[in-house]
Amino acid sequence: MGYAAARGGLNAILTAENLVRRLRDLDPSERIELDQFTGRLRLLVDRVMGESGLWAPELAAMALRQGEGDLIEAVHLLRAYKSTLGRLDTAIPVHANDIQLVRRVVPAFREPGGPQILGRSTDYTARMLTTTDRDIVDASDSTTTLDTALKTRPSNSRMSDVLRDMDLLVDRRRTDDPEPFDITRTPAKPPAPRSALLSSMARAETGALVNQWYRNILGPDGYLHEVTLGEVRHGKLPINVRHPMTGGSVNIGSFRATEVEAIEDLNGSEEDRTRFDVGYGFCFGHNERKAIAMANLDIACYRDGAKSGLEQSLLMTTDGLDSAGFLEHLKLPHYVTFRSMVERKVAVRRVADGKN
Amino acid sequence: MGRTEMTLEATVNSSPTTIAELVGHRTTETFALLDEESKREIRRALLQAVCIPGYQVPFGSREMPVARGWGSGGLQVTLACVGADDAVKVIDQGDDEGVNAVNLRRLVTMSTGIDETTEVDEATLIQSRHRIPEDDMNENHILILQVPVPEPLRGIERDIRELARMHAEADYSRMWVSLYEDKVRNGVITQSTGYPCLVASRYIVATTPIPRWDIPRLHQSKFLTLFGAGREKRVYAIPPYTDVEPLTFEDVPFEVESADGATCRLCGSSDSFLVEMPGKQESWSCSDTAWCRRQRNT
Repeated sequence: MGYAAARGGLNAILTAENLVRRLRDLDPSERIELDQFTGRLRLLVDRVMGESGLWAPELAAMALRQGEGDLIEAVHLLRAYKSTLGRLDTAIPVHANDIQLVRRVVPAFREPGGPQILGRSTDYTARMLTTTDRDIVDASDSTTTLDTALKTRPSNSRMSDVLRDMDLLVDRRRTDDPEPFDITRTPAKPPAPRSALLSSMARAETGALVNQWYRNILGPDGYLHEVTLGEVRHGKLPINVRHPMTGGSVNIGSFRATEVEAIEDLNGSEEDRTRFDVGYGFCFGHNERKAIAMANLDIACYRDGAKSGLEQSLLMTTDGLDSAGFLEHLKLPHYVTFRSMVERKVAVRRVADGKN
Repeated sequence: MGRTEMTLEATVNSSPTTIAELVGHRTTETFALLDEESKREIRRALLQAVCIPGYQVPFGSREMPVARGWGSGGLQVTLACVGADDAVKVIDQGDDEGVNAVNLRRLVTMSTGIDETTEVDEATLIQSRHRIPEDDMNENHILILQVPVPEPLRGIERDIRELARMHAEADYSRMWVSLYEDKVRNGVITQSTGYPCLVASRYIVATTPIPRWDIPRLHQSKFLTLFGAGREKRVYAIPPYTDVEPLTFEDVPFEVESADGATCRLCGSSDSFLVEMPGKQESWSCSDTAWCRRQRNT
């Protein structure tokens, strides 16, 4: 079967691909190794994994390297890779309290039950650009006591439980245990169960979620109540699957996650003014910005009760690949549609000039 | 979709007996990129779409090697339908050589090994962005249109729940009002491409946006048309021999694009959808490049 035409389009594409590959791979600097991404650009790797919905540090590093550091591109590479793989098994649910904490901040109480762990954080570091190598730590520096500082701690108390014990929390725990909504298999649209909202936000682009939060603080079309944070946690959780023969639980690995509980002061006329409610945020890796926005938006969406378009905005406009892909499609040829638009302009003008 | 074939590799040959086997098992390159479960799921959605002409069927759109908004929905439909004996034609704006057409075509052929062609009569699957080929097509063809915006009512309503109600109740009154207002204000209906059509006297669909020139081709067509919207995660269909009526009024005839008697500078045709080069004399040429080439050669 023939392909008679000159293949100009293909040549252009191959040349473009070649330029990208050559200029990237033949850069005079050293090639960045994968462990440099996972070790030295860990927050970037975490973001890629979170927005991909795939825990795979090495693959995320590969994607970042291939995509020349473009986060959306890396997420695209990782999600498209995932599309080619069959689904082998579903992990056994783990309880969030099984987390091994490396960081926990509880702004709501000075001395909460359980530890406050500042951990690895630049929250209180002066943001001054280090322009020399003078400040680089070397291994002989004994002031850094990594062993103690990096020890993980079990989570033995969470603020929602504390508030519940104090009878300060509305109880909207449900007694049934519905299957979680799988946003990768069923498109989420309003009205959707909370699990669809939470997984959409967990996979959302961080910037999109932060913007949704802020536009509802200061934007023209929404009102979002600032929460008090009960929990900001970062730590490690186990991945357990059922053994295919014995049926027993087998640990096959672990992943890191950020978890946030956001305490909401209920002040609506129809709401329980004697109690608080809690919003929940959870995402892969270390990404507090995202988990905090998510927790606040979770409770805001519940309180909104479908009165505004917040649910639709969160479910349908926060995915990085959706928005970036559609934005960039404007670069594609549009000359057929544009020709048709020009034709209508002429038609309207003809009627206006009385020539029809 | 009788000619879809199951893949060459089964996903799991035998039941694993250890965790290592379960986790470690990786299939080799899959036929047509997507895993079998995904392709079956898309085919199920397509079958539902064919059974309810014009109804937008949600599906679990996968992330593809092309970006969303760049034909990811059309590509998933093509890959779900393709079998080893198919031949594929891919056009963008009517051109087989458009960069995005080339890119999508090579993804299909590289992942399946099937033949590619520019000729409609050799093709069984025709994936297109925004054109229907000028050639006659028949029952052996499946036309797969890439869809950026599957919701025909979005211009008049933004709320997803309200849109669902309007379709469910065939409450299209506001659509008619918007067309009426357009006509009254502008003297003509100014909708250019993607003209809204009523399918099988039931659902209004967004026609992808193909130009109005192509709309009459959808009515009582011999071929099956499948619409894939990857970003918005919906598919819909116009089965063969189905009524497709562009929305208009009894005294306002539906108008296709007119080029005021212009002819193609290459093949001389005045009976095809023409595109122009700005500011040039004799600047018109057929948007369908394969059709134009054949006119010149016969």
